Amino acid sequence: MQLPSDNRRRWRSRGRHRPQGEIFRQRFLLLKMLIVLLFGVLVLQLVRMQIVEHDAYQERAEFNRLRLIPDLSTRGLIFDRYGEQLVYNVPIFSAAVIPADVPKDQLGTVAAALSSITGVPSQEITEQILAGQAGNNPFTPVVVQQNVDEETAFLLRERLPELPGVQVLVESMRSYPSGTLASVLLGYVGRINADEYASLQNSGYQLNDRLGKTGVELIYESTLRGTTGYRQVEFDVTGREIRTIRSVPPRPGSNLVLSLDLDLQRQVEAILQDAMGDSTNGVAAVMDVNTGEMLAMVSLPSYDNNLLTDPVDEEAYLRLLNNPAKPLVNHAIAEVYPPGSTFKEVTGTAALQEGVATPDTRITSRGYITVPNEYNPGEVYIYRDWAVLGTLDFYGGLAQSSDVYYYYLSGGYFQDGVQVFRGLGAKRLAAYAREYGLGAITGIDLPGEAAGLVPDPTWKQETLHEPWTLGDTYNFGIGQGYLAVTPLQLLRVTAAVANGGDVLVPHVLRGVIDEDGNILRRVEREVAQALSISDRNLAVMREAMRQAAETGTARSGASRFVTIAGKTGTAEFGPQPDEGEDHPTHGWYTGFAPFANPEIAVVVFLQQGKGSRDAGPVASQIFDYYFGRERLAEERLTP
Amino acid sequence: MNARTMRLRDLDPILMLAALALVTLGALLIHSGTLNRFGPPSVSDFSHPVVRQGVFAAVGLLLALVIARIDYRALGFLTPTLYVVSIASLLFVLVVGEETFGSRRWILVGGTPVQPSEIAKLVVIIALAKYLSDHQESIGTLRVFLTSLALAAVPAALVLVQPDLGSTVIFAVIWLGMVTVAGANWRHLLGLFTTAVIAAPFLFVALRGYQRERISLWLDPESDPLGAGFNILQAKISIGSGGVFGKGLTEGSQTQLDYLRTETTDYVFSILGEELGLVGALLLFGLFMLLLWRGLRVAELSRDLFGRLIAIGIVVFILLQTFINVAVNIGMLPVTGIPLPFVSQGGSSLITFFIGLGIMQSILLRHRRLSFRTFYEP
Repeated sequence: MQLPSDNRRRWRSRGRHRPQGEIFRQRFLLLKMLIVLLFGVLVLQLVRMQIVEHDAYQERAEFNRLRLIPDLSTRGLIFDRYGEQLVYNVPIFSAAVIPADVPKDQLGTVAAALSSITGVPSQEITEQILAGQAGNNPFTPVVVQQNVDEETAFLLRERLPELPGVQVLVESMRSYPSGTLASVLLGYVGRINADEYASLQNSGYQLNDRLGKTGVELIYESTLRGTTGYRQVEFDVTGREIRTIRSVPPRPGSNLVLSLDLDLQRQVEAILQDAMGDSTNGVAAVMDVNTGEMLAMVSLPSYDNNLLTDPVDEEAYLRLLNNPAKPLVNHAIAEVYPPGSTFKEVTGTAALQEGVATPDTRITSRGYITVPNEYNPGEVYIYRDWAVLGTLDFYGGLAQSSDVYYYYLSGGYFQDGVQVFRGLGAKRLAAYAREYGLGAITGIDLPGEAAGLVPDPTWKQETLHEPWTLGDTYNFGIGQGYLAVTPLQLLRVTAAVANGGDVLVPHVLRGVIDEDGNILRRVEREVAQALSISDRNLAVMREAMRQAAETGTARSGASRFVTIAGKTGTAEFGPQPDEGEDHPTHGWYTGFAPFANPEIAVVVFLQQGKGSRDAGPVASQIFDYYFGRERLAEERLTP
Repeated sequence: MNARTMRLRDLDPILMLAALALVTLGALLIHSGTLNRFGPPSVSDFSHPVVRQGVFAAVGLLLALVIARIDYRALGFLTPTLYVVSIASLLFVLVVGEETFGSRRWILVGGTPVQPSEIAKLVVIIALAKYLSDHQESIGTLRVFLTSLALAAVPAALVLVQPDLGSTVIFAVIWLGMVTVAGANWRHLLGLFTTAVIAAPFLFVALRGYQRERISLWLDPESDPLGAGFNILQAKISIGSGGVFGKGLTEGSQTQLDYLRTETTDYVFSILGEELGLVGALLLFGLFMLLLWRGLRVAELSRDLFGRLIAIGIVVFILLQTFINVAVNIGMLPVTGIPLPFVSQGGSSLITFFIGLGIMQSILLRHRRLSFRTFYEP
């Protein structure tokens, strides 16, 4: 009887007065579930990390443990054609830090210690390290000071154990014993900049790498550089090397043999230097007419590439950069000038080939010709010759460098509205000029070449929006007006005349050899363009140039030791001067020798000079030296 | 002694063996983690971490056996004294404590660093057990609820000032576990929970700079991989690279090349993860589950609420420290300096947990009433 009510009471009060044991059981169960749940969560996360994402973590652990330490290759050397060494690798010590290996709490200590040893402000060092740590390459050494002396390097080495991350790098510096002499050809090596690194990092370049900045050092960078090696090294957290796991040794760069004749280069530079006078710039270059090899190339003023090779002398660099004579520019290939009368080689051969002239074509120079204005016949322009030269055949026209003769060849002549002589015309002349390689880069293995300009009516209309006039053709024919060439382009024209019509690709590299002297590569003669001018016509030009050097305006370039053929040029430049003043001119001389069997071609350029007076003697001495080296030496020994 | 029998066979050897297995595992990991600085241990070298750990374990085991012999109910009488002493020691450490990593947690006692907050956690467990069992009848009242909260809140506040946020959380959760099991009113718990949720944003603002930094680093350790995020990241790399079977004891590159810092204390689990892999972690978790289950058995068997609550408190204490420590290692929680019970290198923690085990054994030894009374029970 009591049982039901008792049951009911229990039922009602269940929520508020449950027996202790039951509450405990429930809450124990809760606790047990909590234990299982918490460990379950941990296991799940561990499964995720150790199974699902294991490979990624494994890779990061390997990355921690192993670093690839680049082993920079030895940069290749450069020799002249006779084996004279033009560059040396000199070891230098640099104080550096690996940012990732400097613990935060020791940054101040490390910076202070480095500062006291090197003298670099510790603030600067701290900033460098912090920047390195924040960057993408915290394991690449940051150079604090380059080229520290041996004593400092020794001091640093002793303290390395207490300075985590600090390193003494042994780097290699380029040293050029020839200095200013061959710098326009050799160029220099500098530290990689941000832009270069961005484009080259996939080719194995390091953040603190060096590379050729200009000249041969730049053009043959990949040959000289070799291949960077690697060591895979196990490191502990403080950057201590534990052991090398494997290594790929670096392959040293190959050595270059240039076509340059350093002895000749030295002589050419001295001769040109002597002849500079008031000229701000001068160029002299010698080319092998049969191969296109450059035997000498001088551009004045020059610079000492030792100052610019890393580590850079900043002050000297700024001085060079601000020098108005632009010593850093290779004027032989990077600057363009009107060629003046030297261009008559082109006009002359073109006229012969086109039948405009024969060797017997006679034209009389009265010292000038007149041309009526095409739109206003009452107005007459006068085109002057440099003298009253009388009647000349083709040989005389070139030997005396008659401008009137070449006005006829290029533009023809009209007398009272009637054409009495038919010229080439601007278009045909331009086509021949381009055939000779003008108006385009020569393709020489040096950086920074300028293309120059070969004008024609279309060009003038498009660029200047003016019609081409007969006067433009006359100016074109004597190498004035809009025509602009580099000294190297002109040299190549002379070489083509000399070698029978091959416009060659000039080059400064002769071959590549390995460290044992085995020949890896030989640079072959390369013809850019074979002239459409017959050898008979070229022979006429050669003879005309021989006469010019023997009896004509190019006499000043003749040599005691060899028969040469040559041509001067005195090119006017700049705006028309005031009445009574001379037009400023550039002096040119170009020629080849020996006449009978040409070997070399020479070009000489003097800014603010005259061809026969200033440039000719330079060419003459170059020929003398090239063909009379031994005899000149004997003469010096026996006074 | 006359009202009950004390039988040695009531001691739980499994509880002790599980703990000793954890200590052994810990010693192996400490050995691996200190190998390149200390070399292999030799018995006579008492400065070697492995040997020191062994000595602490022996002392702890001895203490546990001594405490097991003492009637745990005697602790009830000592509770006020113990409580006052540990509060005082927590105050003391704030004034003269040794500072490491920007917080004062240690005092040197005879050249040995002692962390009072570890013992304080045990004392709070006893104090709460005493208070809650004394007020068993009125456990549902707000007064008892709040008083028990205050008992835990005072030491929690003191370790928060050190600052040691991890220990504060542990005080809070121990209290929560104990009042829940003791039968606190759900509405009180709910009210407290609501208050906590509302206060949380304000608490975050009140956090110290370094604590907030730790939280943001925990959320994104890659933001400072070489600086403050280094430990978090390297611990994860160690564990993740360990894979299923690990790289082998003393073979982990992360451990041996010192990529792990404080690896034998807070990051001992990372050594295990790297060198023994998931298998090693499951073994560790298995040992802990065994230990906790046997601990719950003590609570179930306890003859009174005092013993039961002590056992619950210790179980929650061990569970929570283990969870937090491992969760920090695997990047699930922000960095706190919580050691892994029985495994991490460090005397204070090890001895505290052995004392805890001793009290549990004491409870077990006295759980049976007189045998004739069992005769009456169905």
